[in-house]
Amino acid sequence: MINIQIQKQLDGPEGPMLLDLNLQVPMGQLITLYGPSGAGKTTTLKILSGLMQAETGKIMVADSTWLDTSEKICLKPQDREIGYVFQDYALFPNMSVRQNLKFAQPKDKDSGIVQELIQIMELENIQDRKPDTLSGGQQQRVALARALVQQPKILLLDEPLSALDLKIRLKLQDYLLQVHRKYGLTTFLISHDIGEIHRLSDWVVVLEEGSVVRQGSPSEIFINQNLSGKFKFKGEVLHIEKNEVVYIVTVLVHNEVVKIIAQESEVKNLGIGDAVIVASKAFNPIIYKVS
Amino acid sequence: MNSLQGTIVDIEVSGQLSLVTVEVHPKTFIKAIVVETPESADYLKKGQAINTLFKETEVVIGVGESFHISLQNRITGTIKSMDKGALLGKVVLETQMGEITSIISSSAIDQLKLRNNSPATALIKLNEVMLAKL
Repeated sequence: MINIQIQKQLDGPEGPMLLDLNLQVPMGQLITLYGPSGAGKTTTLKILSGLMQAETGKIMVADSTWLDTSEKICLKPQDREIGYVFQDYALFPNMSVRQNLKFAQPKDKDSGIVQELIQIMELENIQDRKPDTLSGGQQQRVALARALVQQPKILLLDEPLSALDLKIRLKLQDYLLQVHRKYGLTTFLISHDIGEIHRLSDWVVVLEEGSVVRQGSPSEIFINQNLSGKFKFKGEVLHIEKNEVVYIVTVLVHNEVVKIIAQESEVKNLGIGDAVIVASKAFNPIIYKVS
Repeated sequence: MNSLQGTIVDIEVSGQLSLVTVEVHPKTFIKAIVVETPESADYLKKGQAINTLFKETEVVIGVGESFHISLQNRITGTIKSMDKGALLGKVVLETQMGEITSIISSSAIDQLKLRNNSPATALIKLNEVMLAKL
């Protein structure tokens, strides 16, 4: 188990705010921290990594104590066996991909790990190139590999894929899952992308103003459990038009525009710009492959 | 959305599917099939108060006594009002459980010779019924 109990006074978007967490998560899971900007997600990862200090608190990872302010214990970041990947990859520009990985490798650790990661992350063809000649997706792949060279127990990912386009993001999600499983990591991810959260996470912790407001599996958190519709999306009303005895409501769902037939009683309280849920039974949609 | 309140009186489970019987009025039942089980959805339990929801466009209208068709969800009532467009028509049925609205083709309204105050039956396929916890 990882046991996190931390308190820290922060300057939130609405003024001073207390980050006050009490979280217990099993090892080996992929946990997503979800919530609005300024809720304390990044601060939580920084306190876990040791880059930032909590005012009071305790962090236990399996049997080892990383932080215990009452005992004045606070392990240094390099002693915490953590890999950290941010949105903006900070690779050394003057080193090749392979040199970047080699540089991160602890002196006393297995030297085969660099080669293994180059294979797993499919970096063979770019291993001799400098970071500035790589695409965003390639650089982030290198950043992920570099975080894993140290063979961490815990991987911290702060919106690592949010700057990438969908296709590259999906590919990198596959790499993430693959290394998370292969190395038996416990991974903490910050993400706002619900699709990504569904694909990757075992557990979602929702943070608001420094506190945990909800936690559960991705389905429990993001699907309204009290309605049996399985084909369900959040959207925004773009247009409502009466057509004979029915209304046609145009709704933006992600970046697709869909149309829904509705009754007068249903559109009565609907306005342009309203957030809505579009739902149907799992029996109705038709599925077919497009490529 | 048509909405009839009731109580769950039976749940048959097979794999990920459940066939849920809801009593919406004494001796009147609505059956719904859902991709949930009592393990995955806490509202699936006998005695639970529940709303059955079904879209107006999924309600078939029948007239006469016996239909040799597969639809088991049948609710009889009286036609309260009709609103006919060029292609589609809205039929509102007054039943013991409240109003049920159906959208069918205007030509079907003519073909069935539907009239206000005449009896009719609303028929709903069980896979079109959603359940919402009350």
